[in-house]
Amino acid sequence: MLTLRNRILIALAAALVLGGVAVVYVVRSAPAEVADAASAVQTGARMQVLTNGVLSTVSANDTRGPRSLTDRKCDRAYAARDTVACLVPVDALTGTRLVVMNSALQEQKTVPLTGFPNRLRISASGRMVSWTVFIDGHSYATTGFSTRTGILDRSTGRVVESLEEFSAVVDGVPHGAADVNYWGVTFAADDNRFYATLSTGGKRYLVEGDLAARTVRTLKENMECPSLSPDGSRIAYKSAIEGDPKKGWRLSVLDLVSLTSVPLAEVSSVDDQAVWLSDQTVGYGLQRSDGVNDVWSVPADGGGVPSLVVEGANSPSPVVGA
Amino acid sequence: MPSRKAKAAGAVAGVLSVAAATVIAVVSSAPVAAAATNTFTPVADTYVDNSSTGTNYGTSGQLGVDNSPVKRIFLRFTVSGLTAPVTGARLRLHTDDVSGSNSPAGGTLKAVSSTTWSETGTTWANQPAVDGATLGTLGAVSRNAWYEVDVTSAVTGNGTVSIAVTSTNSDGADYDSRESGAATAPQLVITSDTPTTTTQPTTTPTTTQPTADPVLVGAGDIADSGSGDTATANLLDGIPGTVFTTGDNVYTNGTTAEFNSYYNPTWGRHKARTKPSPGNHDYNTSGATGYYSYFGAQAGPSGRGYYSYDLGNWHVVSLNSEITKSAGSPQEQWLRADLAANTKPCTLAYWHKPRFTSGSNHAPDTTAGPLVQALYDYNAEVIVTGHNHQYERFAPMNPSGAADGARGIRHFVAGMGGAGFYSFGTIAANSEARNNNTHGVLKFTLHANSYDWQFVPEAGKTYADSGTNACH
Repeated sequence: MLTLRNRILIALAAALVLGGVAVVYVVRSAPAEVADAASAVQTGARMQVLTNGVLSTVSANDTRGPRSLTDRKCDRAYAARDTVACLVPVDALTGTRLVVMNSALQEQKTVPLTGFPNRLRISASGRMVSWTVFIDGHSYATTGFSTRTGILDRSTGRVVESLEEFSAVVDGVPHGAADVNYWGVTFAADDNRFYATLSTGGKRYLVEGDLAARTVRTLKENMECPSLSPDGSRIAYKSAIEGDPKKGWRLSVLDLVSLTSVPLAEVSSVDDQAVWLSDQTVGYGLQRSDGVNDVWSVPADGGGVPSLVVEGANSPSPVVGA
Repeated sequence: MPSRKAKAAGAVAGVLSVAAATVIAVVSSAPVAAAATNTFTPVADTYVDNSSTGTNYGTSGQLGVDNSPVKRIFLRFTVSGLTAPVTGARLRLHTDDVSGSNSPAGGTLKAVSSTTWSETGTTWANQPAVDGATLGTLGAVSRNAWYEVDVTSAVTGNGTVSIAVTSTNSDGADYDSRESGAATAPQLVITSDTPTTTTQPTTTPTTTQPTADPVLVGAGDIADSGSGDTATANLLDGIPGTVFTTGDNVYTNGTTAEFNSYYNPTWGRHKARTKPSPGNHDYNTSGATGYYSYFGAQAGPSGRGYYSYDLGNWHVVSLNSEITKSAGSPQEQWLRADLAANTKPCTLAYWHKPRFTSGSNHAPDTTAGPLVQALYDYNAEVIVTGHNHQYERFAPMNPSGAADGARGIRHFVAGMGGAGFYSFGTIAANSEARNNNTHGVLKFTLHANSYDWQFVPEAGKTYADSGTNACH
């Protein structure tokens, strides 16, 4: 099997080689695109997104240029190191499942799941994979919804079916309530510490977890869908406006040392688990009113303005192969 | 909405000028009519290339057509606002201002039946079939110039038009796409009659009063503690006819107290003309007793939740997605017997949980398949559901979800009755229209052998979707 990147390279090469006129044609009529393609060939850096549920990549240097679509369909996807993860669409017979693949999109591990795909994250090392599904098909804006969040350790093959198995300490007190839901895991570099969202009693908390110890403890209230920066110093998250999810969410960044937050320049409601495109930039999906999504980015320091990264796409991953 | 989002969505699309009569020399066939022209830019345009079969070029500023490698252009226009019959339509394309954009053969224009291909997702490998009639052919084209082709046969009125450009010449042409900007983007220039008020001879002053065709109007996912249902009930105040509901009439648990507190002051104003259906929230009260006691006999036999009635030439069926729907179940058997006994030429059915939906919160309910199959077997026209809090319209489809222009049923998700909106997930095949920021009601005008649908938005909003289909 060809790797995804090699397939793209071959496709590009074929585009240049097939037919003698092709080279002349492309050079004379689309200089910009050829330049972009050439730079992609040189650096190989690609950004993975979903194009209406189709696993796709764009050149990291020209994210709004030509896009390569694969045959793989996912409701949510992520890529880290040499690993691609996909929550496949719910199927009448099989339900959803997590599919973990190598960079050539060869399946390496499948975890059957019950629920509706929602969040997906791979640790930077590629070892840990975490997913969140809605159990009864609801949204974060409704009350009484139910999620299930699990973790796969690829090195051992061990699966945590649900974080609800872990011991939770809420506001310093051991917590025994049955209404606990978890969603949106992000992993630290040691592949043991993680952050996630815990909801109980109508409140949503940022929690820090210890995978080996099977514990979590709350850090701050009204912080959801954490995303740890590559340098491990900050967490991008969404928080319900005025504490009411029906009013939408604001994207912010929390400094883990000072525990102070800065709202980002994106003022539209962001219902997504952001990704760090670099230590300075946060990426996220925004949906138009007709259901078409776009990937945007915004500086992580609260300044600047949002910029369009990939049109008609969502579920972005950090650039790999740079 | 922030303007930058509109930009991302392709703000150049839309009506550029109304009644810009300068573009086309009007050949007027009706002396009493003046011609108006409406110019539309594409809502989507892209090209595909068989030398890179998995690549999408939807964001490119250029549209290539060629035969070596094979490149095909796809253009989609949304024609709206026409109030008179179309008398002519021309597609205008501008060649790119770069060396090599010229060609001895500018390409052949053909109609495309698919109107749901994606600008950023279409590739050679998944391109829509170029399955329509040949509309016209462009001869030699030069660099940086406008060319136009008569495409009147592809434009029948308001609606969506998809056109492909193909070439058999290995020296291809390059046109500017909508991303190139308004000055060079493709244009669809439509000429229509503007009837004057010249009096027509009146011949039959008899007593025959035209009877208004029946109206069926409603939505689902309606009354909570918010204000959405107030806005949609206000719309009902101005729309006569029968009111349908597609479930989740009241939140959160369908109790009698909730019906009295939330539903009754708003949609309850129209209770006497309402034919409801129940949803999962109505069934949060065991047996949906709050629902059945509130609506009484109008909800059909108490506790059963499925029933039918006739409106004009139409047979209308209200079903219950919250009980078993399997083949052979009492409900499915009843439905088949009800449809077998029906003598009306057109049929519409509604219930709560959608068989087809692009919503991100509730997956398509495959357990509704046997009901869809029964309706398809008896040539029904329309299915309306809710459950996902949004509006969605599908092309006519068979029970498997494949486009079916001959016998297909048009599915609507009308979950915009008042509750808070849900997001969309992956957009399903054959989904033709979607919205999740406008509460409203869906109005059907049930003609003798056809129907009109119209999304009626809440006051202050502008989202629109309407159309007409014949009965099977």
